Amino acid sequence: MTTEGLAAPAAIVRSRPAWLDTLLGQALALVASLGIAVLAGAVLIVAYGESPVEVYSSILEQSVGSVDGIGYVLAIATPLIFSALAVAVPFKAGLFNIGVEGQYIVAMVVAAWAEVELGFLPGPFLIIAALLAAMLGGMAWAAVPGVLKVTTGAHEVVTTIMMNGIAVSLVGWALNFPLHFDDAPEGAFVDLRTNNFPEQGLVGDLGRMFGITQGAHLSWLLLLAIAASFVVWFLFRRTRLGYEARAVGASPGSARAGGASIGAVQLKVFLISGALAGLVGMQQILADRGHLPQNYIVALGFTGIAVAFLGQNHPIGIVFAAILWGVLSRGEVALQIGSDVPREFVIILQGILILSVVITYQIARRRLSARQLQREGTVGELADAAAPSDRERAREGEDRESGAFAPADDRER
Amino acid sequence: MTDEGAGGGNSPPLVVLEGITKRFPGVVANDDVTLELRRGEVHALIGENGAGKSTLMRVLYGIYPSDSGRILVRGELVKIASPRDAIAVGIGMVHQHFVLVDPFTVTENVILGEEGGARLDVDDANRRVADLAEQYGFRVDPARPVEDLSVGEEQRVEILKALYRGVEILILDEPTAVLTPQETRDLFDNLRKLREAGRTIVFISHKLDEVLEIADRITVLRRGRVVGETRPADTTKAKLAEMMVGRPVLFRLEKPDVTIGGPVLRVTDLRGEGKLNGISLEVRSGEILGVAGVEGNGQRELAETLIGLRRPLSGTIEVDGRDIAGRNVGDIRHVGVSYIPEDRHEQGLVLSMTLWENAVLGRQNDPQFEAGPGVLLIRKIKALAARLVKLFDVRARSIDVKASSLSGGNQQKLVLARELEVDPKLLIAAQPTRGLDVGAIEFVWKEILDQKAAGRAVLLISAELDEIYALADRIVTLYEGRITGEFAPDAPPEQIGVGMLGGEKQPVAS
Repeated sequence: MTTEGLAAPAAIVRSRPAWLDTLLGQALALVASLGIAVLAGAVLIVAYGESPVEVYSSILEQSVGSVDGIGYVLAIATPLIFSALAVAVPFKAGLFNIGVEGQYIVAMVVAAWAEVELGFLPGPFLIIAALLAAMLGGMAWAAVPGVLKVTTGAHEVVTTIMMNGIAVSLVGWALNFPLHFDDAPEGAFVDLRTNNFPEQGLVGDLGRMFGITQGAHLSWLLLLAIAASFVVWFLFRRTRLGYEARAVGASPGSARAGGASIGAVQLKVFLISGALAGLVGMQQILADRGHLPQNYIVALGFTGIAVAFLGQNHPIGIVFAAILWGVLSRGEVALQIGSDVPREFVIILQGILILSVVITYQIARRRLSARQLQREGTVGELADAAAPSDRERAREGEDRESGAFAPADDRER
Repeated sequence: MTDEGAGGGNSPPLVVLEGITKRFPGVVANDDVTLELRRGEVHALIGENGAGKSTLMRVLYGIYPSDSGRILVRGELVKIASPRDAIAVGIGMVHQHFVLVDPFTVTENVILGEEGGARLDVDDANRRVADLAEQYGFRVDPARPVEDLSVGEEQRVEILKALYRGVEILILDEPTAVLTPQETRDLFDNLRKLREAGRTIVFISHKLDEVLEIADRITVLRRGRVVGETRPADTTKAKLAEMMVGRPVLFRLEKPDVTIGGPVLRVTDLRGEGKLNGISLEVRSGEILGVAGVEGNGQRELAETLIGLRRPLSGTIEVDGRDIAGRNVGDIRHVGVSYIPEDRHEQGLVLSMTLWENAVLGRQNDPQFEAGPGVLLIRKIKALAARLVKLFDVRARSIDVKASSLSGGNQQKLVLARELEVDPKLLIAAQPTRGLDVGAIEFVWKEILDQKAAGRAVLLISAELDEIYALADRIVTLYEGRITGEFAPDAPPEQIGVGMLGGEKQPVAS
């Protein structure tokens, strides 16, 4: 698997268009890094005295071996798609939203409030109201670092991290006071959580149509997530804002000289990111739980960074990356049931995957740019295009859009 | 060909490149090139962009393998597969873009990779680097961090790096492209010292005046082939240009005879942070106003303030009677101002975007490129790009390639095409031919004169007096953010030089 993945880029036929080259290169790089991760994982499994073949096949069996398994995988992927998109959108504009975490937490509170307070609305309206509330909540939380960035230059990484901490406290306050659980039967032990949302306010089950068990909680939100990734694709490839955002991310000076207002673009992009982040928590409160509990699932925002990276910040790539992430996460269950390998193995596997992706994508990119150089450099002066060092490339801004998570410090202003 | 010149007399050549051929898919970058380098000479390698000069030197430096041919150093056949091999046989190269570690000191940069042993004696290293610098008259402080240095000083560090490694043959790839005139003079002094010390220098350039000044021998490449070898004494600028381009090149173009109309741009007492200390000037329709001056006297600030990239502190900027001071770039462009930035990578193009995406930069708000509110009409933008590329002869495989894949000349053509296609009332051209070869310079000049012929106002800011003379109808000098003189287009350079150095206002001649 590995050797095939590594060897294949050289075999790409010359006549293919550049975008297909890029796509194939990235796909092969992904396969190669999966191969590396699987091999490294196999070493660990052997160290536990188990058979890698058995462990891996049980992971696959659990995740994609049945329709139910696929349902679970897709339900896990749903919030990750939103989360990764929320990271990818500002990244294209040279910004790093590390605050998706806080934004979705706040959004869950706001959506829960809408569900509880607007319970009189009929089904679809209540759901739409809750989703809109979530998006607005995420936007509001993203607006603070966005405005600070544009007006004072405060670095968004620092401010978003701070906002994350505040968000966590906000949930605690909301669950204790305004959204306190008061429907409980007299004298019963009460968890710290909101009231149950009205039945008509929950997102319908999508899995039933395909015979997937209700336990997977595969909801219509998956389709919304896929739609969102197409919207993001459209935003960057077809709209003026997306065009200006990419220009700002790749070359702020040229974008400004071309009449783009860097501050306005950055703020808009941050708001869009916040809206997407707002939808991250909807799967768990509107589909899985039906209320906002104190022990909500955390870290989806940070996982989104990993998934965005795995999908190379490409909206469609992100969908596949989220599904791959879901397969591995679902595999945890298999480890618990049938082996001595601890479930943390999956986390290690995911970590190795990210590391090997860093390496193989970099190799693929170098090969591709060498090919491109050979092809396109022929027209202009070859010396202009040949970039012997990373520093030189950084100076010319070539790599800025390509997706490596370089520190964003010196990009703006 | 006999050789009894400044260099090695009849001594055997130090380096021989024999029958070098280097192919890239679809093009032969070097076609059976033979070149000899002698001890103690400055050998200029000239040619248009894409002529193959850099490729040839990259083959010699081991960056590209050649498809055929051989290299002899000191009479021995050598195989150079990497820059490491090249340095081992005494060949070093300084690229156009420097490769330095900014926070490191000069010494740390110079010795990087050659520290020799686990323990680093900083004082000793500093001393050795200082000695080396002094030997060749390099003015540079070994203890200063590179990030504090000027471009000229950074270049000296790059050269020192090569010398520290005992390099005998030093290849400089367009070393003066990034330098101011004063820095260029300093570099030439250094090069002369190196030549006296018996080092060999390959000087890649397309600035003919400089080549004639510094070179002992000149080899001209065109389309990958050697088209001639000569000496400065045996040739002229015009002859060299003709060899490079393959046809006679005009260094003075006919200025179109246009009636100069009313003022289009009127700047009154413009002040801004740093370098603008009360500038007043006027450009009329059909007129090219040349702003001459030593770089760093407010040229960049002036251009950027006029197009809206900087906010003025006070003063007015009127275009066609409308005050645009302090407005944003989009508004100012909308009034009919176009801008050719002095740095096309920083302010002209987004290199990682395609040609068609770059073609619409600055006009992304234009309703004719909108398919709906905020949605771009890609088809029309591509049609625009195809038109621009064709009209301005931008050599590119397609409009879908990235701007970074174009040569400098073609990048500038793309910027020019985009900025002129909107029929601006006022064109602000800042150093419009920087880094371009003679053929491309002629093209840009023609386009600017065409703007004048069409009755537009042009503000030409240039550090090259030649360029000012070739284009301007009126010349002002800029010194420390003030206009220090106004001159007729035929004023002698000495007079203009006084203004460039801050002399008092001269009465307008004629």
